[in-house]
Amino acid sequence: MYILGISCYCRCASAALLNNGKFVAAAEEEIFTRIKNDTSFPVNAIAYCLKSEGISIDDIDVVGFYEKPLISFERALYQHIETFPLSFKSFLRSMPSWLSERLRLVTLIRARLRYKKDIMFLEHPLAHAGSFLISPYDKAAILIVDDAGEWTTTSYGLGKQNKIRLLKEIRFPSSLGLLYSAITDYLGFNVNDLDHEVMDLAAYGDMNKESNIYYNTLKKIIDIKEDGSYMLDMNYFSFHYSDAFFSRKLCNLLGGKNRRPGELIKRRHKDIAAALQILYEEILFKMLNYIYKQTNCKNIVISGACAFNGVANGKIQKNTNFKNIWIQPNSGDNSTSIGVASYIYYSILNNKRNFIMEDAYLGPEFSAEQIKYFLDINKIKYKNFDSKDELVKTTAKLIYENNFVGWFQGRIEFGPNALGNRSILSNPCNPKMKEILNAKIKHREKFRSLASVVCIDDAPKYFDCDNPIPEPADFMQMVYPIKKEYLNKLPAVTHVDGSGRLQTIRKEQNPLYYELIKEFGRISGFPVLINTSFSITDKPLVCSPYDAYKCFIKNELDYLVMDKFLIKRTDNPKEIWNTEGYTGN
Amino acid sequence: MKKAAQFLKGFKKGFLDFGYNIILLVNSVFLLFIYFVGVGLTSIIAKLSRKKFLNAVVDKKRKTYWTEPDLKNKLIDDFYRQF
Repeated sequence: MYILGISCYCRCASAALLNNGKFVAAAEEEIFTRIKNDTSFPVNAIAYCLKSEGISIDDIDVVGFYEKPLISFERALYQHIETFPLSFKSFLRSMPSWLSERLRLVTLIRARLRYKKDIMFLEHPLAHAGSFLISPYDKAAILIVDDAGEWTTTSYGLGKQNKIRLLKEIRFPSSLGLLYSAITDYLGFNVNDLDHEVMDLAAYGDMNKESNIYYNTLKKIIDIKEDGSYMLDMNYFSFHYSDAFFSRKLCNLLGGKNRRPGELIKRRHKDIAAALQILYEEILFKMLNYIYKQTNCKNIVISGACAFNGVANGKIQKNTNFKNIWIQPNSGDNSTSIGVASYIYYSILNNKRNFIMEDAYLGPEFSAEQIKYFLDINKIKYKNFDSKDELVKTTAKLIYENNFVGWFQGRIEFGPNALGNRSILSNPCNPKMKEILNAKIKHREKFRSLASVVCIDDAPKYFDCDNPIPEPADFMQMVYPIKKEYLNKLPAVTHVDGSGRLQTIRKEQNPLYYELIKEFGRISGFPVLINTSFSITDKPLVCSPYDAYKCFIKNELDYLVMDKFLIKRTDNPKEIWNTEGYTGN
Repeated sequence: MKKAAQFLKGFKKGFLDFGYNIILLVNSVFLLFIYFVGVGLTSIIAKLSRKKFLNAVVDKKRKTYWTEPDLKNKLIDDFYRQF
């Protein structure tokens, strides 16, 4: 039985295909269209899912959509009525999309996919809660902390075997996700960029709530109860009627105008980011402790955009009674295609659970023959490795010699984090690597932290992590302090507060990647690598050999390893790469 | 011949642009009407009768902001509906 999950018109559209309970393919639309956070109907992602299984749309038994569009429309309409006439611009901007596509979803799905069978619509929180059904737990508390889905912004519940029951919720416009977005917007960063900038910047500010003056200031805009529930004072926000997230009153409260993108980051901005992070953690832990009391369950599954806050995630075990945490690799709205498909198959159709999401490698892959064809037709010079052993040893040596290596192997990851199949790898022992990577390769702010990847068996040696290490660390969802003795040894992955974003890797997940890290450890003495996403600024992860080569040349990486082929940039000067003339796939 | 093809190409593009502008104009007029008559009138009536569409009141006396969700005991038919 095939179930196709679809999410679109949110932060990033995606599709996921489930075959008898097991996910066989999932991809975001952006990797095909090359438009970051593409929200359009995911025709390319759906076509990929069908092609990867060698089936047609007639083989799909149920299509699941990640929200109830009419309830979302009701909310949109209520916002416009409540805030009339301030919502004028927002109304003109949003209505054409509602009238032409979002309110005609059944017609759209049937016409664009030529699909004739069942279409199901799930409430947005249930599509997030569906993550529980692919978690390792038979029973778990579920927390969803999101921007907004229909009317719900935050909710919790309990999952048992193949059933999910949502117990309580907090409703729009009160939203922790939108509070985080509003401050992100105020600080001049991209709201849709998962707010990692604010999380990274917070470490440079005053993380002590006694001395950080903005902590008490921010508390004036939100009423927090002991059970973690909250209400925003909407006088300080404008997201319910305009594209900007904050009002002039918030600027006055925070003592000045908002920062514009590219402007100098001052001490004030760092402290505001820190105050927000403290406040977010405080609410999250209060909420989790309350949920623990209500559910009396030691396992927690967290979903929603806020689950990307690795700094807070890394502190959950120490600050709550939960013993086990699970967050899926793609916890934002783009993951709801997976959630909706699993909820339909397991909960609605009452099937026994038979799948745990242990890795995120669900996207397209390219064979060695396809890559060789691409290289040959474009007259790109390369070296062909005779064995995996030679590939691993040579690549590890190149990384040790401080080269930036593009790593392109197997299926692309589902989600925003590069987890070892579309990564830029480099040497964490060299203190200059962070600066060079941020400035010259990634073209982003110098305060941004870099993630590290460590084999699961080595992680406790280098990180002060929870024991056992939670599975979300496999998906780069946890930040932990680096052990004091290694702070100076691994400077490029050590953030200003001594923490590091961690990806753990298990041999069964990705044997080649695992061996590469181990080999680097044998040469350098530290089995740790810098792992950052293989992408151009403001573009999604590279998908095809063409995308990879283009990014390799544009970002001026030193080497590119695609399957068993090694490409050296200096052997292939920019001039011979005529991107305009290339038409192949 | 080449000139004629160029002219036709330009004519086609111009016509498409014209069509796009007409759609934009009609949509804008239609949406303006809906906004000021539909949304506006409803909003004024709602404000006069003190009806609130968004619950956003900070209440320090309240013990909790958690509320009961409307997601319990769903039948399979409910999942086929868009509301």
